[in-house]
Amino acid sequence: MLLYEHEAKRLFKDQGVSVPPGEVAKTSLEAAEIARKMGKRVIIKAQVLALPGIGAGDAQIAGSPEEAGRVAEGLLGKSYNGQRVSELLVEEALPSQKEIHVAIRVDGAAGAPLVMASLERLSDLDEEAKSSAKVASSHADPFLGLKSHLARKLAKALGFTGDAAVKLADQVQRIYRVYAKWNALTAGFNPLVITPEENFFASGAFLEIDDSALFRFPQFRELSLSRILDPLAREGKTIGVTYVGLEGDIGVICTGAGIGMATVDLISMGSRPANFLETGGGITEKQMADVMRLVLKKPGLKGVFLNMYGGINPIHEGAKGVVKVIREDKVNIPVVAKAIGNFQEETWKVLEEGGVTVIKTIPTDQAVEELFKRLGK
Amino acid sequence: MSILIDEKTRVVVQGITGRIGAIQTMHMLKAGTKITAGVTPGRGGSRVEGVPVYDSVEEAMAEQEINTSVLFVPAPVAEESCMEAVDAGVKLLILITEHIPTHDTMRIRAYARSHGARLIGPTTPGVVTPGKCKIGIMPTHLFTPGPVGIISRSGTMSYEMAGLLSTEGIGQTTMVGMGGDLVVGTNLVELLELFQKDPETRVVVVHGEIGGTQEEKAATFIRQKITKPVIAYMTGKVALEGSRMGHAGAVFVGKRGAMENKIKAFREAGVPIADSPGEIARLVRQALKA
Repeated sequence: MLLYEHEAKRLFKDQGVSVPPGEVAKTSLEAAEIARKMGKRVIIKAQVLALPGIGAGDAQIAGSPEEAGRVAEGLLGKSYNGQRVSELLVEEALPSQKEIHVAIRVDGAAGAPLVMASLERLSDLDEEAKSSAKVASSHADPFLGLKSHLARKLAKALGFTGDAAVKLADQVQRIYRVYAKWNALTAGFNPLVITPEENFFASGAFLEIDDSALFRFPQFRELSLSRILDPLAREGKTIGVTYVGLEGDIGVICTGAGIGMATVDLISMGSRPANFLETGGGITEKQMADVMRLVLKKPGLKGVFLNMYGGINPIHEGAKGVVKVIREDKVNIPVVAKAIGNFQEETWKVLEEGGVTVIKTIPTDQAVEELFKRLGK
Repeated sequence: MSILIDEKTRVVVQGITGRIGAIQTMHMLKAGTKITAGVTPGRGGSRVEGVPVYDSVEEAMAEQEINTSVLFVPAPVAEESCMEAVDAGVKLLILITEHIPTHDTMRIRAYARSHGARLIGPTTPGVVTPGKCKIGIMPTHLFTPGPVGIISRSGTMSYEMAGLLSTEGIGQTTMVGMGGDLVVGTNLVELLELFQKDPETRVVVVHGEIGGTQEEKAATFIRQKITKPVIAYMTGKVALEGSRMGHAGAVFVGKRGAMENKIKAFREAGVPIADSPGEIARLVRQALKA
């Protein structure tokens, strides 16, 4: 779950990171008022949810309350990545003599957090960034965190010495603590600025909390659902499945992520999948009925393809949910299903009685060919 | 021969009294797996499918022969449960549970490694050495004994690959579900190394997907150390940038985790890439003839 910058900054501040004075505005009047109260040059930042590297909203400087109002007017209602801007962060625009970019993410190969710091943007947090001479990096210990001597080493590698190196190391350790405390996947400063008085401020900040850890943070678990932009993906989440909307017209339902990706890959070789959907383990009759109705919500579908494996999933139960929807909702587009695994004979019987074309052989490519035939392709 | 598990493997099921733990214990026993104990705190003294249940792994180890644990415990207690097994001296942990917080997984992995234990998973279908031992949730009848090693980032794809090979009369030494998360206990390079050392494995099939850098690292390793033929099948060509495609690890942002890098790396390492599941069998047959 991605946080808005102003939310991330609140969590950073709790951990002792200095953030520029600022407030959230929802209207241009509020933005002008905040600027007037501050009595200083402000920076106004459109609040959108974005992973670093996929694009954030614009930010603009305003020299007076009137200008702040005009800038706010221009930013509110703009769209970035399909998100309409409804909130602005109005902050004091701090003078900076130097900027440091810091990003922490999970290094899957090392099985440990990787802390990267650079005097340049770490825009795509790329693999090659690690090996670049301009980026200093260090792994943290999943138990012990980022040790202070490693944080100081990072600061020195960026050319900091004396007090400044100690101060920077302290900020990096603080952001690491935020990352650990909130079970984050990524966290960072983009950037941390150093003012002419040698003070450090997180002028840009980002934080993504691991969805699997949200059970620990009830305040965010509630919010996370409303942050899913696609209404169908949001409904999928409530049902307990992963739905990713695609551009085509063949509905897809799969009982696992791997077979789900293979299925949309193969369908797209001769047609266009409308969605990716995978149920994960533990399906029930009701859940599969909900899933079927969810996929059918997309207008203009030409067919539905199910790819089911009975390992951890009772597919014979799931099949009942599928045919229930076909019957009750009078589904009149072709439904083709491949079902293999535990209880496969029972599953085939239920599906065939419900009017589903059943594929009983294993290769998904052959099953997709059958689907194309049924669709007259 | 095989890797990781065989007829000598003795298994404790952690979370045996749960709905999924109990059903899968039944399926594993039917497949011939030697399950000597189950563990659920507070349920010691009971039995599931005839298997004695203990309150702790330590108590189970005191009375039964055990060298491997399979875990069906809820995600919030997975870290504690794994550490309990490691503390009790279990050397192989197969963690089926999905949706474990990544920070927990990093600690589980580090703890297991520092205590000389191996972790497979999380979010894995498990490991199966057909005809000898099945530990996990895979449908037994799709797997048959033979010369092909399988490593998969996905449960369902592992069923598809094994099932279609079996249909064509090509069996498997061992199938290992590596797990679909961002961090896994044992990675692709380590598993390739195990298959390289296994005299019965003649060909290795790898299912990779978008996200992470495992495939790129494996490609380099294959070039340097693997003399057996490796065949790959890749999924996630149709994915939205920034969207996790069902697996927590299956996501690309810009070039990071993108499919092109992985396909390029495998091509450069001389690894044939199947365009479809159906083509896997053809490529494996070719490799076996060579």
